[in-house]
Amino acid sequence: MADQSDVWLVVPVYNEAQVIADVVRNALETFPNIVCVDDGSRDGSADAIRTTGAHLVQHPVNLGQGAAIQTGVEYARSRPGAEYFVTFDADGQHQVTDVLRMLERLRAEPVDIIVGTRFKGDDSHIPLIKRVVLKTVVAISPRLRKLKLSDAHNGLRVFNKKVADELHITLNGMGHASQIVDMISQRGWRVTEEQVEILYTEYSMAKGQSLINGVNILFDTALKTGSKR
Amino acid sequence: MLIQFLLIGGVIVLLVFFLRHHGTTKTAAGVKIGFALFMVLAAVAVLRPADVSMLAEFVGVGRGTDLVLYALVVAFGFATINTYLRFKELELRYARLARAIALRNAEAPRHEDAAAVGNTAVDKPVANTAVVDNAAVDNAVVNAEAKDQAHSA
Repeated sequence: MADQSDVWLVVPVYNEAQVIADVVRNALETFPNIVCVDDGSRDGSADAIRTTGAHLVQHPVNLGQGAAIQTGVEYARSRPGAEYFVTFDADGQHQVTDVLRMLERLRAEPVDIIVGTRFKGDDSHIPLIKRVVLKTVVAISPRLRKLKLSDAHNGLRVFNKKVADELHITLNGMGHASQIVDMISQRGWRVTEEQVEILYTEYSMAKGQSLINGVNILFDTALKTGSKR
Repeated sequence: MLIQFLLIGGVIVLLVFFLRHHGTTKTAAGVKIGFALFMVLAAVAVLRPADVSMLAEFVGVGRGTDLVLYALVVAFGFATINTYLRFKELELRYARLARAIALRNAEAPRHEDAAAVGNTAVDKPVANTAVVDNAAVDNAVVNAEAKDQAHSA
């Protein structure tokens, strides 16, 4: 197996004590560098992470997934030798083999960021309502169509140092996925997508963001003002 | 009546403009001027209700009271959005503060490569030097502190 020491996995964690240790241990077998950002969990997630050998960054208060990803990326990009970055969900939805395949492409092809998609090939395993809503989002977003992205809200992304350095998520909550898409088009990052498999376990279904949260995302995105940096 | 709706439409356009340029000194000043004007108009409305009624008739509203009500609705929407944006801004600052604290107290894995990370962290200049320096120098201390916190919590 290729050496993955220049790769950092960024795992935002919020109340995932049940599964996080297993997910991280499993990923550590392939990737030596993992930073878990505990987003103010109240269920002992941090202690679970401490048992694994991953780096732990703890938000003193709950801020939201977008903020956690930004924190994790800021931590990872400050580490020596960090060249490739992966955002990886804590609930075990994502497959290490998918990440490896995406990294291989990122190293070989002239792209800056690869986004996971659930909608290339067979998507019948995705719950129907989720499929309809996610596809509607893509259909009504001219930006996604222009970038030829079929799945804006996939948590699995692989990107290089350039993207990590320029990444600047200001929407703390779940709006960050759309914000990343905005950044892709505004900053001209070369983007492509890769078919990934999402394991819809009972656990992740219960934890996953509810569709009603899409209303919040839309609102945040609509009222987002130009951020001053 | 129609004219009134047109006015509200104009205000909405104003709001959009305001959203676009939120946070600049110009809009901050604009908000204050708007507020001052609003106060002056309120005083006029109290002192000379007949004038307000005249103005109301001119723009096609029945009574002066209705005109004041419409103005209030617009002002309320304006204030709500302003507050919302202010909250968002605060939230962002708060996130940055929390992030700085989080990165300062970052814990490297305890066993194997904790020492290696500490040694190599200094070579490379990075954006967030404070964090790296801290991680390199204070790793052991921070870990100990974090453990204490965990116990007390």
